[in-house]
Amino acid sequence: METHKIIKVKKGKKYFFRSTANQRIQHIILAICVIVLVLTGMPLKFHDAAWAPSLYSLFGGIKVAPIIHKTFGCILISLFIYHLIYLAYSIYVGQIAPLRKKKELRTGKLLKLLVTQPLMPNLKDLKDIIQLFRYLLFLTTQKPQGDEFTWKNKFDYWAPFWGIPVLGISGLIMWNKEFATRFLPGEIINFALIAHSDEALLAALFLFIWHWYNVHFKTSVFPMGTVFMTGYLSEKLMVEDHYDYYVKIMKQAGLEHEILPPQGSPGHEPVPKKKGYEGSETTPGDDNSQMHEPMGGGPSA
Amino acid sequence: MAVVILAVALSNSGISQASDVGNCLLCHKYPGLSRVDEKGKFRLFYVNENVFMNSIHAKVTCEGCHTGIKKVPHDPVQKVDCLKECHIIEPSSEQKFSHKEVATFLSKSVHAKLDENRKPKKYSEDMPYCLDCHDNPLYRPLSFFKRVRPGISEMALGRCRVCHKKDEFIFRFYNHVTTRLHPIRSPRNIAEMCGRCHDDPKIVARHNLASKAVYSYGETFHGKAANFLDERIPDCLDCHVNRGKSVHQMLSYKDPLSITYKTHKSSICTNIDCHPQATPKLANYKVHMELDAEHSPREYYFKIFFISLTGGTLLPLMGIMFLDLFRRLFPNIRITRKK
Repeated sequence: METHKIIKVKKGKKYFFRSTANQRIQHIILAICVIVLVLTGMPLKFHDAAWAPSLYSLFGGIKVAPIIHKTFGCILISLFIYHLIYLAYSIYVGQIAPLRKKKELRTGKLLKLLVTQPLMPNLKDLKDIIQLFRYLLFLTTQKPQGDEFTWKNKFDYWAPFWGIPVLGISGLIMWNKEFATRFLPGEIINFALIAHSDEALLAALFLFIWHWYNVHFKTSVFPMGTVFMTGYLSEKLMVEDHYDYYVKIMKQAGLEHEILPPQGSPGHEPVPKKKGYEGSETTPGDDNSQMHEPMGGGPSA
Repeated sequence: MAVVILAVALSNSGISQASDVGNCLLCHKYPGLSRVDEKGKFRLFYVNENVFMNSIHAKVTCEGCHTGIKKVPHDPVQKVDCLKECHIIEPSSEQKFSHKEVATFLSKSVHAKLDENRKPKKYSEDMPYCLDCHDNPLYRPLSFFKRVRPGISEMALGRCRVCHKKDEFIFRFYNHVTTRLHPIRSPRNIAEMCGRCHDDPKIVARHNLASKAVYSYGETFHGKAANFLDERIPDCLDCHVNRGKSVHQMLSYKDPLSITYKTHKSSICTNIDCHPQATPKLANYKVHMELDAEHSPREYYFKIFFISLTGGTLLPLMGIMFLDLFRRLFPNIRITRKK
């Protein structure tokens, strides 16, 4: 199991752990696959558009582009299967196995453990969405104080759980139409084409507009977020998007006196230490850093 | 002056003059040669000599098709009759060549103007005449000589020259033969040609056709690949013409002899050159699907589901994005009263 410093200090600035190297590699493979699949798929969907032939010819035209598309499709499906295994393994080794060891594993406990995974939607997400609308409509100056994974992160994470199976299965049906129609009616290809084409457009628009806006193009990150490469998020962005989690880990690291106020609050004084706080698990000799064993999860913001 | 023009015209004559025995290019070589006819239609009479000489009718004389010309300058000419015998001798029968048999084929096809009782069909004027589908296509020679790139193979020509001495003959014969070894038009051209009628909403409605056939073909992978100039992808004729028959013998899908008849349809897809591993069920794929509630309700509502999903997901997110950007750009706006 990979271990990481939860807070890194570089040139006096704090950076907060977000994802392991394994997760970052998964995310980069996902990103490359999606970009190549969109570039080799959209010219077919919009075959009448003026840009379609030139873009398609960049990928070798009708003779080569479909081969590239299928290759990257296979990589993406493999990545998805790998991620499912990785996720199951991480939860099992990190959380279920210790319970089994202690002989505390019960069905109820297991279910609770699964529904309280950091990337599972919860009531706080709903509260944060309501608070976000209040903030966006100028009804408050207080931004939602997100947890380790905000509702946006969860949306971005779970979207491929719907998209990849839909695209993968429909793509495999169209690719292996002879095999598929041994068991299924011929009309399945019509349905597969609609699902593949429309879901791909939804995924592309979702990722290239919504996801990229949130992680690269919003004014506080522009022109590019680096967390997908470094795995660490700056303190400024932690305060902006994950304030509750930021406060939690700053306290765990014994850095209460350095906690910045949430965005939109009047002062910049550190928030006072809460009564009854038990202290931190800061590793001695490691400048303000803490070891953190991350749980299995998908790409983070 | 006339003598000078004639002298210049004659001095330009070379191999391309082979079919211009009447010296028609004396006038028709000028790009501006045109007039507005009695119906007010602009007519261009310019003949591009190089283009014409690379077309499949290059050896037919002008008078072979444009009959009735007895003097120069000539009177308005009669409309070309493609069924007329021309001067070319068909070598296997040694008879004068004509396209008459094509007309016989056509009269028994789905595109015939007369029905089985020899009475004009309803809207028979919509049925195609030769020129509705055929222009004067250019040669598309093939090369099989070690390389497969299109065009005339110089290596093959070297073999021709062993026996044949005249290059003009060799080029023409090579073009004549190899152009016929593959379709003279690309799948995209063929689809465009068929679409002139089969995508015309008035014709589709008049003849109660099931769909805009070429549009729906264009939405399939076959159609899209054709659009990207794939030469090997099936076009209209590959599925709608019985194997071994001419396009002029195309039959209606209601005709039990047609390959598109419901009980034969599966043999189109499972053809050895196409999807030999497929079962007949593959042919139930709706190639010409009209995506509306009336014709394909299940597919239509499936599509509506995805459109709703796309709109339902993206519109709220785009709204949040827009508000977020606005909030960031104008952070100091206050709606609520300051406490």
